[in-house]
Amino acid sequence: MPALAILRHELGSLWSGWLVRLWLIAAGLLALLTLASAWGQLQTAILTGSLLFPFLVFPWFLIVMLLGISPVTGSRLDALADGILSRPITRYEYLLASWAARVVTVLAVFFLVITPCVLLATFAKRPAVAADSVTWYGMLCAATLVSLVLTFLVSLGFLAGTLLRRPLVAAVVLFFVWYPANFVLDTLQLEEFSPITLNRALPTLLRTPWKAPDDQADRKLSSTDAAALQRQWDQVMTVFGGGQPEPPRRDSGDFFQRGNYEDFSFWKVFLGYSIPTLAAVAVATWCFCRRDL
Amino acid sequence: MSLAIRTEHLTKIYGGKVIAVNDMSLQVPAGSIYGLLGPNGAGKTTTLRLLLGLQTPTAGKAEVFGHACGVNATGVRGMIGFLPTHPTLPGHLRPVEYLELLGKVCRLPAEVRKPRLTSLLRAVGLLDATDQRIDTFSTGMRTRLGIAASLMADPPLLLWDEPTAGLDPAARRFTLDLIRDLGKTRTILVATHILSDIDQICDHVGVMYEGRMIFSGPMREMKRRLQRDEYILEVEGPPETLSAAAQRADQLPDVTARAADQHTLVVQVAEGASRAAALAKVLELVDVGGLTLHSVQSARNDTEHAYLQLLQEDQAHGFRRFEYEKRHGADAGPGDSAS
Repeated sequence: MPALAILRHELGSLWSGWLVRLWLIAAGLLALLTLASAWGQLQTAILTGSLLFPFLVFPWFLIVMLLGISPVTGSRLDALADGILSRPITRYEYLLASWAARVVTVLAVFFLVITPCVLLATFAKRPAVAADSVTWYGMLCAATLVSLVLTFLVSLGFLAGTLLRRPLVAAVVLFFVWYPANFVLDTLQLEEFSPITLNRALPTLLRTPWKAPDDQADRKLSSTDAAALQRQWDQVMTVFGGGQPEPPRRDSGDFFQRGNYEDFSFWKVFLGYSIPTLAAVAVATWCFCRRDL
Repeated sequence: MSLAIRTEHLTKIYGGKVIAVNDMSLQVPAGSIYGLLGPNGAGKTTTLRLLLGLQTPTAGKAEVFGHACGVNATGVRGMIGFLPTHPTLPGHLRPVEYLELLGKVCRLPAEVRKPRLTSLLRAVGLLDATDQRIDTFSTGMRTRLGIAASLMADPPLLLWDEPTAGLDPAARRFTLDLIRDLGKTRTILVATHILSDIDQICDHVGVMYEGRMIFSGPMREMKRRLQRDEYILEVEGPPETLSAAAQRADQLPDVTARAADQHTLVVQVAEGASRAAALAKVLELVDVGGLTLHSVQSARNDTEHAYLQLLQEDQAHGFRRFEYEKRHGADAGPGDSAS
């Protein structure tokens, strides 16, 4: 019961605060703007990816992290020690309830904004755009993975806030560490760790059917790998034969056309975000339980 | 004697540098109103936070009603009602919402929680302010809400940290009366540096200085420790008459007297002598000399003197105590009765 009381209290506090309300309005407006501008141009999968871009890449990831930072930092900590933690509640009960409230809030904003836009893009008639093969399975997988990334970002903020204690310092550190790290991971095309790469891979995931994917993926994977291997072998032979290697292929300029994600693995990405999420929450809880208040 | 609080060699050192609580052994009898006295920075608040499990001791242990204190000791915190100095409360809530939240955190069922929060708000005089947010409250209102919050779970032990700090005289009187009333049914530990508060409400007292407990025991024992049997007579009359009376009184057996200023005669009675007889003779001299007597005060019963004397003794005996404890491994040093 204490943890549930804290969860409700935190949810009430978050939704009565200006940050969440403004974020909800801004996210809604941006989503509508994206939808309107790409209505007659982009296929459903790419349009959905565009709608998710602000949450995964910029700018909403900052808000998500900021929301995660706040529970046990700065002046809030005094009120927390005096008002709540001196009562019969354990610290991990408080922390987990507080973390859960933030995750619920972030996911609520995300689904409130995205669901109507995606349904509209999927089911509305758009004669100017070619039909797309977006599947329910793909949508479910995409929703799960994006939710997981948002949970991971909340947890990362949560960990930084707990370790660094000052909200401003935590926010600055997160911005200057996480964002460059995200770009580096993106250049390696690691969708398991980089939300930017995951965002690019989403159209592929959205088009994945429920049953066939395993066989098709295997075939595609092997043919892709064989082609890549052959290309690499040709390059090596050319260089040994005294010739010039082929210049590296350049990606097309479009964000969603870069890279090939046909070998996308749902479970690999799922574990790639869920394990760090659990680790961040565990470390934050462990540190907070050992701290003097 | 059953104990509400017991600490053994409780020590708290921050970052290996600052000694906040130094090898403190404290025993608070159940049912007492215990005044934890000490100057600012003596370690009173740290002691309370160690009891609540908000901080972890560097060494030693603490128990509340026989249960060990600690970070995860929710059972112990359930028996404690804590009032911090100038309570920092969630400003966006209203009093009812805050007490409701605390009631839920304390696992109180709704049928207990609702009537209790109403009666507490009435008891602390905040019924008129239930529609206001806490961040609009004055210091006195926050303290009163903090008092209500500390009583929400109806705990058998109250730890109140400087409950009268920053209060106006009426609010201070209200708080002291409340402590006296609550002390009839539960144990209360009041940490303060305001001596008059301790004097009015406490039956037991502990004096902390630089993290150490330099005295712990009944109030009357602390007062008895003052070595000076001194009385202050406030009189009115010509200064030369006062000086003459002081000289004559000084010649009385077992009496030392001096005129402290133009209206004050300080009389000290030798140890073992009858204080009533000596004082009667001095008063006769005052009467014969034509001085008008306004008041007689006993410096002996002045808590402030006892307190200051304890601090002076502790400063003087610091190294002696260390040597004594090294030899005996005892809790109490020479010249103090801390137990």
